[in-house]
Amino acid sequence: MPWAEAAGRDETEPEPILHPEEPQRTIERLAARVTALEAALEQRSREILLIQRLACKRDLVLISRIRAGLPPLPHGAYEPAFWHESTELAQADVKETLEDLWSSLVPLSAYSR
Amino acid sequence: MIQRRISLIILAWNRWDLTRICLESLRATDLGDAEVLVVDNHSTDETPERLAEIPWVRTLRLPKNLGFVRGNNAGIAAADPSSDVVLLNNDLIFTQRDWLRRLAACAHAAPDVGVVGCRLTLPDGRLLHAGTYILPDTVWGQQVGSLESEIGQYLRTREVEGIVFACAYIKRETLQAIGGLALDFESYFEDTDYCLRARQAGLKTVLCGEVTLVHDEHGSTGDDAGALMKLFQGSRQTFRKKWGTALRRRYRHELLWQSIMNFPMGYAMSCRELLRALDQQGVWTVYRYVYGPGTVFPPLEPEQSGDYRLNVLRSRPKSFWPKAAVVYGQGDVFRRNRGRYKIGYTMLEVDGFPAEWVRQANRMDEIWVPSEFNRQGFLRSGLRRPIHVMPLGVDIDHFHPAIKSHPNPAGEFVFLSLFEWGERKEPKLLLRAFNEVFSSEEPVRLLCKVINRDPSVHVKEEIRRLRLSQSGGKISYLFNLEFPHHQLGSLYRSADCFVAISRGEGWDMPLMEAMACGLPAIATDWGAHTEFVHPGIAYPLRSRRTVPAVARCPYYAGFSWADPDPDQLRHLLRHVYEHRDEARARGMAAAREMAARWTWGQAAQRIAGRLAAISA
Repeated sequence: MPWAEAAGRDETEPEPILHPEEPQRTIERLAARVTALEAALEQRSREILLIQRLACKRDLVLISRIRAGLPPLPHGAYEPAFWHESTELAQADVKETLEDLWSSLVPLSAYSR
Repeated sequence: MIQRRISLIILAWNRWDLTRICLESLRATDLGDAEVLVVDNHSTDETPERLAEIPWVRTLRLPKNLGFVRGNNAGIAAADPSSDVVLLNNDLIFTQRDWLRRLAACAHAAPDVGVVGCRLTLPDGRLLHAGTYILPDTVWGQQVGSLESEIGQYLRTREVEGIVFACAYIKRETLQAIGGLALDFESYFEDTDYCLRARQAGLKTVLCGEVTLVHDEHGSTGDDAGALMKLFQGSRQTFRKKWGTALRRRYRHELLWQSIMNFPMGYAMSCRELLRALDQQGVWTVYRYVYGPGTVFPPLEPEQSGDYRLNVLRSRPKSFWPKAAVVYGQGDVFRRNRGRYKIGYTMLEVDGFPAEWVRQANRMDEIWVPSEFNRQGFLRSGLRRPIHVMPLGVDIDHFHPAIKSHPNPAGEFVFLSLFEWGERKEPKLLLRAFNEVFSSEEPVRLLCKVINRDPSVHVKEEIRRLRLSQSGGKISYLFNLEFPHHQLGSLYRSADCFVAISRGEGWDMPLMEAMACGLPAIATDWGAHTEFVHPGIAYPLRSRRTVPAVARCPYYAGFSWADPDPDQLRHLLRHVYEHRDEARARGMAAAREMAARWTWGQAAQRIAGRLAAISA
């Protein structure tokens, strides 16, 4: 849900025009918007805390990377926390794997520590 | 080098689109005073008109389509009679400016060089050709390195059995000695035939690894598969009649080789290399799978190896019964040796051999091991038969310092280690030491390629229990990934130092491959690999003492192995990191020594020499 919508205002709604003869009404309306935004923030914080508790670490890293404009987590997992423990060997290509690994290092090191 | 004029002969039949690209790319290269002669094999498209518009090309238009052989011979006849000639297909693309100068240099590097070919890649970048070979069993020519990813393999100049004549530099001396292409063939096999005829005349065929051209294969012969196959089979029959007996006579020894090759394990990998090298060294080898039901490794072996030569060796008649037979595998399958002269070839990672191995070994005529370390271990364990050291080798065409790398763009110094998770390879010691020696702020990383096939082992949990520091050295893992063996050089070259700190080795092919790639290596100074690791070319890691070999492998019970020194490991990791020039120099010295002393060809020569002694 977009933040603006949660605060009771459509994103495309034009800015209100202030009339000098109605300052009290303007203050009341802005105060109501601040209250609505604070409530939306509290609700979103509760949601994020819930997601943090329930979602796995890999998904959180994925979401964080995407929001930061970085490529999603590479296909192979290069840190134990992210790999799937198995005794099966997976066929791979050296060039693709290394490029994938190197591209994963900067954001992973930031998030996994 | 002799300065001699060169005539470039390009045979074209229709497909002006290809010829145009070929000529345009050719013109952009350094041709010196070479003559460019296009032999138009009576094209019916726009080729004649377009060629007439190009002033720097001389055109020879044939009255009818004479086919590949006669068309090329017409070009040779029309060329400057004192020149060397280069036969070229019109579907080549010239991407290397100095290709001609380098080919000429190869051709004139020695008087006994007669024919020179080059590396060819496909338009999609994969390797297509680095020489050819042909086996007498099937008489079906095969291209070396075909369809491998291009990693810079086969870059050295080397003698080969044959080359494809998409690009063939033929010295004038060769033409004077054996003439043009044989008229027995219309198309196909004429190139191998020519190389064999040159060899008969004492002139070698070499592959100039410094030159790579792009070949849009079969662009000039049309797409009628049925007609091509008919042409191919006709030429094949002719070739068999002409050369079948001579090809068989190249083999000087016969050998039954019982082993394992189509599973991803050490014996199998080295078996494949040895079989290829033995075939090239003139040892007629029949392969049989030695494991299976009733052995320690019961699965049946898959039939296909992914390698044409190995598939042929496997399919050779079961009635073949050579005198000498090798079982190459663990000592408890020596009993399966079916030869009249029985040889057991094995290795082990500890300081002795199990009683059952020794019992079976004492029923062999002789024993081979790859190292003096194992020879001493066998003798200590009660072996009474003759024992010979037959070292393994390394493939210097796929493992050398010019192999393409994919380095970390962040510029981190990368330590690389490859191991199966377990007691012998000491992964915990390495992870702890690295994590302690470095900090996360330093531009250095340990990359571990880890394999675990044991369902009772939980690698992730074992790493977690190490409680590695988040502020310590950074470690990345490639877990249970299997790379094509021909690509592994690229993995090694993407690192700066190789680390192999196992408690014991029977040989250690990855270590040797990494050293052949020019990597400085930190390796435990104990075990079979001390055969090729020494302080001049590597960083030996001392063992504090030998300790009981405690592991789940039953073969180790009662024996000892090394106890690598953690303090010295920490010191060496830091030392290599801080003395990079010294480490690089040591790695390059290792590459030179591997290429000079430890090739698979040399390993096969030693075996061939021993077979000669046995049969004498």
